[in-house]
Amino acid sequence: MLTRCMIAENRKLHGSVIWLAFFIIPIFPAIMGTFNYLQNIAILKNGWFDLWTQHTLFYALIFFAPMVGLYAAYLWRLEHLGHNWNIIMSAPVRPFYLFFAKFIVVIKMALLTQLWVFVLFCICGHFFAHLPGFPPMQIFLWLLRGVLGGVAVIALELLLAMVIRSFAAPILIALLGGVAGMAFVSQGHGLMFPYSLMLLGMNSNKAEDIISGQVSLFVLSCILFSLLFFLLSNLYLTKQDTHT
Amino acid sequence: MNTIIETNMLTKYYGTQAVVNKLNLSVPEGSIYGFIGPNGAGKSTTMKLLLGLIHESSGSICLLGKQMNQSNRLSLLRQTGSLIESPSCYGHLTAQENLEIVCDLKGVKYTDIDRVLAIVDLTNDRGRKVKQFSLGMRQRLGIAQALLGNPRLLILDEPTNGLDPAGIQEMRSLISEMPKLCGATVLISSHLLSELEQIVDQVGIINHGKLLFQGKLSALQRHSKGDIVLRVLHPQKACKTLLAQGITVRAEGNLLQIPPVHEETLAALVYDLAMQDAGIVGLTQQTKSLEDIFLSLTHEKEAG
Repeated sequence: MLTRCMIAENRKLHGSVIWLAFFIIPIFPAIMGTFNYLQNIAILKNGWFDLWTQHTLFYALIFFAPMVGLYAAYLWRLEHLGHNWNIIMSAPVRPFYLFFAKFIVVIKMALLTQLWVFVLFCICGHFFAHLPGFPPMQIFLWLLRGVLGGVAVIALELLLAMVIRSFAAPILIALLGGVAGMAFVSQGHGLMFPYSLMLLGMNSNKAEDIISGQVSLFVLSCILFSLLFFLLSNLYLTKQDTHT
Repeated sequence: MNTIIETNMLTKYYGTQAVVNKLNLSVPEGSIYGFIGPNGAGKSTTMKLLLGLIHESSGSICLLGKQMNQSNRLSLLRQTGSLIESPSCYGHLTAQENLEIVCDLKGVKYTDIDRVLAIVDLTNDRGRKVKQFSLGMRQRLGIAQALLGNPRLLILDEPTNGLDPAGIQEMRSLISEMPKLCGATVLISSHLLSELEQIVDQVGIINHGKLLFQGKLSALQRHSKGDIVLRVLHPQKACKTLLAQGITVRAEGNLLQIPPVHEETLAALVYDLAMQDAGIVGLTQQTKSLEDIFLSLTHEKEAG
């Protein structure tokens, strides 16, 4: 049943404008980060790691969470438009599976975004920063860990986009969440705020691993927040009347 | 005959207002049931309740012979097709892709798409994006979505809404063939009795959330009969004859309006008028508007 929902969700992305955003938006933090790196190259001597700090300064702080919000808002907008809620909610599938299928699809898109960000990082490092060789594998792993840190935000953004029914609101909340997340991280409370988890996961603006030694707490926090948002989503889908 | 939908005192409140009020709907299997009522009468709400899209405040629903509850809702929905409010489609996708999504959700094989596209006559448009479709085509696509998986019950909420006369006619003939083509029972709503008269065999009339009438169309048609208007050459003679028979007459020039009477009585009256040389040149039976039928049904209920 869940697989069928996931196939349906994936099909909705065929020929969708969301792919345009997927390709274009990550280019901006890459340009901004590389420009910043080149402006400060005199003090940034740590090669790929320092380029990473500059890229994530913009990408993780300003772009990643809103992009996840954009994916979530888009997937729910497809249902908010017209009377599509009627067709999905009268389908013989558990309402929560409809939500969870969207969750999986946004995770897939977030993973693909991270891969695209990595490609852009390599291009910027190689052609503009003239860094030797390839970036360390650790940076690639941080990007993947960013998705793990992002699962709670993905669940939360999907919940918000489902309930609020505004396209812009979840994206704005994500932007504010990302900034607030940085404040939580700087205060040392990053594990207690979902938007901080994606920054921690991506090792945002840091050259050394900031969650080494507390990886299990980080994973636990991701799971607990995700479960909370799943629970709230399920409650909304099963207890609330369907509005179109 | 088995009933495929049966509701018992079904009630839905929004705030303090009962949008559906103690509704006892009974839809026989194999019928085309016209669910008629003015806008805001509670038709769509009832249909949403039947599909579990909204939760009832009280009462119960028996669908396909089973009491609907959380544990069997999905299995009942598997045997139900619906088109509620307006067709639900994804404009950036083709008709084929839209139907594939419904197949995915319903667990139906994609091969069924050919069958339903042929029924709604959209086979040649399957590769076109839905945003390029006219409203009529979207409605037909909505019907196709509802037909996927050969459901036993079709719930169609005002499927002719917004269609031009040709589109309405097309939709009517499509729906009238459903029981024959797919063996499905159809529950179809409209705010116009005239729109459904030609295709339904059972009728339910709802107003302010209450069911005013339920039964065969022929029984309703008795309520829908309005006054009889006679056009005569000699109104005075005609009036005299009619009054002598104890019939109340309202005269306006050479037009005489009398209340509805049985066909045998009418035939006898016409004979008498002819004998009295009233010069009958025309006779028409007025049909009541849905509002008038509501009023007459409401009055009957109050009197009863």
